[in-house]
Amino acid sequence: MAPSTLFLSILVLAVAAYVIGRKRSYSVVGGARKLRELHSRPTYYGMLTALGCGIPALLILGIWQAFEETVITRLITAGLPENIRTLPESRLNLIINDVKNLVSGNIVSKEVDPAMQAAADHYTRLQSISHASMAVVCLVLGIMAIAIIRKIITPKLRARNAVETVTKIILVACSSIAIFTTLGIVLSVLFEAIRFFKAVAVTEFLFGLQWSPQMAIRADQVGSSGAFGAVPVFAGTLMISAIAMTVAVPVGLMSAIYLSEYATSKVRAAAKPLMEILAGIPTVVYGFFAALTVAPVIRDSGGLMGLDVSSESALAAGVVMGIMIIPFVSSLSDDVINAVPQVLRDGAYGLGATRSETIRNVVIPAALPGIVGSILLAVSRAIGETMIVVMAAGLAANLTANPLQTVTTVTVQIVTLLVGDQEFDSPKTLAAFALGLVLFVATLFLNIIALHVVRKYREQYE
Amino acid sequence: MNNEANQPAKRSNPGGLRVDRENRETVGEPFIEDPRMTCRNVDVFYGDKHAIINVSLDIGKNEVISMIGPSGCGKSTFIRCLNRMNDTIDTCRVRGQIKLDGRDIYDESIDVVPLRAQVGMVFQKPNPFPKSIYQNVAYGPRIHGLAQSKEELDEIVETSLRKAGLWDEVKDRLDQPGTALSGGQQQRLCIARAIAVSPEIILMDEPCSALDPIATARIENLIDELRHNYTIAIVTHSMQQASRVSQRTAYFHLGDLIEIGPTEIIFTNPKHQLTEDYITGRFG
Ligand SMILES: Nc1ncnc2c1ncn2[C@@H]1O[C@H](COP(=O)(O)OP(=O)(O)OP(=O)(O)O)[C@@H](O)[C@H]1O
Ligand SMILES: [Mg+2]
Repeated sequence: MAPSTLFLSILVLAVAAYVIGRKRSYSVVGGARKLRELHSRPTYYGMLTALGCGIPALLILGIWQAFEETVITRLITAGLPENIRTLPESRLNLIINDVKNLVSGNIVSKEVDPAMQAAADHYTRLQSISHASMAVVCLVLGIMAIAIIRKIITPKLRARNAVETVTKIILVACSSIAIFTTLGIVLSVLFEAIRFFKAVAVTEFLFGLQWSPQMAIRADQVGSSGAFGAVPVFAGTLMISAIAMTVAVPVGLMSAIYLSEYATSKVRAAAKPLMEILAGIPTVVYGFFAALTVAPVIRDSGGLMGLDVSSESALAAGVVMGIMIIPFVSSLSDDVINAVPQVLRDGAYGLGATRSETIRNVVIPAALPGIVGSILLAVSRAIGETMIVVMAAGLAANLTANPLQTVTTVTVQIVTLLVGDQEFDSPKTLAAFALGLVLFVATLFLNIIALHVVRKYREQYE
Repeated sequence: MNNEANQPAKRSNPGGLRVDRENRETVGEPFIEDPRMTCRNVDVFYGDKHAIINVSLDIGKNEVISMIGPSGCGKSTFIRCLNRMNDTIDTCRVRGQIKLDGRDIYDESIDVVPLRAQVGMVFQKPNPFPKSIYQNVAYGPRIHGLAQSKEELDEIVETSLRKAGLWDEVKDRLDQPGTALSGGQQQRLCIARAIAVSPEIILMDEPCSALDPIATARIENLIDELRHNYTIAIVTHSMQQASRVSQRTAYFHLGDLIEIGPTEIIFTNPKHQLTEDYITGRFG
């Protein structure tokens, strides 16, 4: 029986188990009339039976599948002729691969030699034995589980509690997947970053003012020694995010206030989705807009004022990025402002406060935690944004406070470091991980600060 | 004041016949001499819903007038007309004439901001601002510029809290959030907040509905004291409360003002069958 068929059979068995368990609960208590004497409702007995039947069988199936291949490979390696078995590891692996290809019917590079053919047949045989025994074990286990649980179903059996415990364990398992994935990513980034810091000193990376990661690949190349001072990159990120926030926060907040406090419900119903469309536009399109429309306008108007503006400027990228994140600020803030209870507004109006006084002194403070949250979300979006910057702000890592110059950001540098064919152990590529680590730490801190701020205001305002 | 409301025997009406249930004309004495506020033919609509139907009544100086009636009959709607709080509801339209000291408050030349400072409001649910106790009370005087200096403001805050009977409980923690007080304290804070802007008329919409009997008694005492300086209109579901605190009582029914008159008459000798039904608990 193929594993997929087996999987389906187990599911079918579990459904059957549900029905059996449910029926059993009715019969042990003596009919539907006396259901009250049952500790839990009949569905829980059904579910308990189904879980007891399905989970062990599926677990066995999973573990079996995970180890089957290794075990079979061991076995056929042992069965190979002496002269092949003693080959060096890498050659042996190739041959085993060929055997596997032969089994799955793929054409092999060489003539099929009889020893290999024998090995392949052996493999197929072992595999079918394994599948058959797996099916038997799983199904027998499932059926036994049904029989046992059916036996132990009594009116006193606390089926609901058992099912709830199992459900809880499943929920915990699911949430730990997310946690462990994050942990895994962090660790791998950390690991690579440590390799980078073996080549380049931490202090140089964090405080160096020169960023030019081109390394000489061959010893005879000249001019690319590699400098990994990340300050210009951080500064660029900071500047562009700051410009973006200067655009997005006032505009977003004010449109939120307009939408929630001044607009009639009709206007709001129409305007809010329209604004949210902004968030749905692909960032590449924004990049276009920034590079082809906004940047030239800025350059030309700068030129008119006698300023020296480069054709790719932090200002262009920052402004367009700000426009992109307006809906993050406005939509969320609008929601939290709307959630401020009407009685609070009434209280202020009842004292003779004007609408703007009410908004400034009562509504905004009450909504502040949510507003701060929405702004921080927008900030992390701005820091993480890449496309617009690539297209509109350039790649040159200038250390400058002038928004009219070309700058670059952390994310852009990560992309340029990893694009194309790269060795995965040169400082150049590893630098990307170091940048990623810094980015991660920065957003983490931002989130912690955000949580702290929000909690503090909660205490004050609840 | 009295407990006659609970004693049907005294409420017999040997003189005249009760006004029939179907009759929706206002019975009793809606008008008084020398009124503070006058309402004439007031209609209120929420969209198409006619929530207040042709109500006329007077509110006198330094009196407490209570408004009673079954849930949904329009008490809140009516009381909110008196300081134009209904303006904040998009669908709400008010027709008719409401005058304060002879001036029509719905006239175009009237600004609602000073009006609401003059006619303050306390709501059913305590709604302190998310600010400190001090700031809650100081907020009104501050926006209206009632205090020239910090000392004056301190004084307004203290006297308002004293009048609301809250000063002793909070004087040591004025900088704590108003929302951290108990429900009854919060409601007294809201009353203090309302008096701090020195209104002349205070509207109270079921101010005690969330409070325990002790807090209720304190607020009733407070209303009794406030009466000497203020005019108070109070909506209540408790007939005992109405009879304890008010001089006049108005009974609303499905948007109509059914009966209005001196409180002890309404509770001892109602002329309208609907009023009789309501106060004897036969309604609904
Ligand atoms: N914002 C509104 N929009 C539409 N209809 C409303 C609105 N507010 C109240 N109404 C309706 O107007 C009528 C009167 O409501 P109101 O709140 O004045 O009653 P009430 O006498 O205060 O009742 P309660 O004693 O339950 O507070 C009710 O039928 C109610 O459904
Ligand atoms: Mg009401």
